[in-house]
Amino acid sequence: MTRLRPPGHRVSPVAQRWWTAQALLVLSGPALLTALALGICSLLWFPGALVWLGPLLLVTLVLPAIGYLTVMPRWRYRVHAWELGEFAVYSASGWFWQRRRIAPLSRVQTVDVVRGPLQQSFGLATIVVTTASTAGDVKIAGVSDADAEEIAARIGEAAQAVPGEAA
Amino acid sequence: MSWHSPHPRSLLVDYTWLAAPLASTALTLLATGGRGNPQMWITLGTVAIVFAVLTACGVLRRRRTRYRLTDDAFELESGLFTRRARRVPRTRIRTVDFTASPVHRLLGLVVVRIGTAGEGELRIDALDRDAARALRAAMARPEPADEPLLAEWNPHWIRYAPLTFWAVGGVFVAVGTVYRVLDGFGVEPWRIGFVREAFSAFGASALWLTIPLLLLAIVVLGSLGAIALYVENWWRFRVEWTGSGALGVRRGLFTTRSVAMDRARLRGVQLSEPLPLRAGGGAKVAAVAGSLGTAEETRRRSTLLPPVPLAEALRVVRRVAGRDVFDRQLTPHPPIARRRRFRRAMLFAVLPVVVALVVLGVLFGTGYLISAAAFAVVATPVTAWLARDAHRSLGHAVDDEHLIARSGTFTRRTVALQRSGVVAWTFHSNPFSRRAGLVSLTAAVAAGEQGYRIPDLRAADAEDLADTAAPGIVTEFLVPPREGAYT
Repeated sequence: MTRLRPPGHRVSPVAQRWWTAQALLVLSGPALLTALALGICSLLWFPGALVWLGPLLLVTLVLPAIGYLTVMPRWRYRVHAWELGEFAVYSASGWFWQRRRIAPLSRVQTVDVVRGPLQQSFGLATIVVTTASTAGDVKIAGVSDADAEEIAARIGEAAQAVPGEAA
Repeated sequence: MSWHSPHPRSLLVDYTWLAAPLASTALTLLATGGRGNPQMWITLGTVAIVFAVLTACGVLRRRRTRYRLTDDAFELESGLFTRRARRVPRTRIRTVDFTASPVHRLLGLVVVRIGTAGEGELRIDALDRDAARALRAAMARPEPADEPLLAEWNPHWIRYAPLTFWAVGGVFVAVGTVYRVLDGFGVEPWRIGFVREAFSAFGASALWLTIPLLLLAIVVLGSLGAIALYVENWWRFRVEWTGSGALGVRRGLFTTRSVAMDRARLRGVQLSEPLPLRAGGGAKVAAVAGSLGTAEETRRRSTLLPPVPLAEALRVVRRVAGRDVFDRQLTPHPPIARRRRFRRAMLFAVLPVVVALVVLGVLFGTGYLISAAAFAVVATPVTAWLARDAHRSLGHAVDDEHLIARSGTFTRRTVALQRSGVVAWTFHSNPFSRRAGLVSLTAAVAAGEQGYRIPDLRAADAEDLADTAAPGIVTEFLVPPREGAYT
């Protein structure tokens, strides 16, 4: 009985802070602000409504926002990993919905290092190994800047060394 | 090949005639509290006689029906009173179709129809699936490889045009468009005299008559629209291998379209069967080809065949793939995949409606509660049936050159991908699927839809499939590692 093992290397622990910031900016922050604004409005003009609005906001906005903020980055950190094998490059990503993708080095077309504005402030980068298929791009998100350059170079060299095949 | 007879279970098909009188008898018994009335006994007596006659005829007919395939002809003897012996030279056999009514399907049988060049068709009612498949395989005649033409326009196939979702959906789209145009001009359709008259007449007269009539009108209009679209898109189409080794498709009435797909960029072929088309025994075919443009352009330009009979679709698939890719038995996916589908459909499609109706019922009265119960009673078996069908669709296989995968219920898609064309594998999972021990596998190819997903495989099967279909990609990450990782 064989089993697909997880990739060998974790991404940088700093990535958890990046994902937390991302969650605050994209989902949790707006949700909490909305809840706050609605709560204040209700307090000022319809104090009677707080009885049912309070729990409703708590359940639909506040708790999911806090849950996402605390759970997602840790969960992601446990999942995200990468490995450069002898013949293929392997990455795992996601948190609730997880994805493990493996592309052979012989199919690698380009190796890019991408840094988003938020990532830059945390000194992180994403490595994108592209293949001829858009459903075959291997992404390694959340490695430290210095590591990214080195990993990208290693993948590039390894891909050079393996005889390429057409798409 | 020696003489064969239809399957013994085919006798049971005729008994469906008895269902209606037996049901009415049962209802009578229920209504009268088990005592029955003279009329009921007459019905029962008639049923018994009909049963005896059906059985006698069935047994006799089965005994008198036999077929065999010789080296140069197919022979079929049939007929209860008038005996017919028909002999068709094998070179004249054009198609071998399978059809199955719901009753046949329940019994695991198919009606085999053998289409010939011009002498009508031969029917065997009915064989079990394996026998039917074996017969078709035995009849398959290798086509001359140098024949460049794969398929061309056949007006008989227009009958498959209405069997698409557009046939009914198109009417609603058209009505919606007319409404919006009128709205744009500031006309309120509800205020036009004739619409109001029609509406009040509709409501006033017997609904049991007007509603079926309205449905009939929608179906007729939709079918006409679908036929018009079919003709516009596919008039005089030709699919052929061109001299330069490309797959060429020419089609269209007012707008003629012409696409050439480079053989070197062909990664496979896909058969798709939307539910109504599948029920009617038809299918569509598309190539899995690269370098055709954006996703939308690729989808539009890679179609090879409009809705056509399944046998014809399979013939073209064979010519494109160079072999009988869809003839092999597919490995089914575990039963838990069916339960997952059922649960998911209940949770996301049935439950919300029931909850909404119950809430309405609590607020506004019991009428809504009754409709909630009725909806649940009707929707649950439908969901169960759809889940069962979705599960039965699931399957995968590997042959010398291709990876074959099938999935989907509203549109069932069977794809054959060249194993050498797989550029990456992706394993998808979530906590629920992991608890069920399932994984979805996506094969990435540089063609067609780019990623082809094989849903809900047993985790070990997914790893095996990935390792067998495109060796060397996942091998080094398996524990324990396999021998001869990449040679």
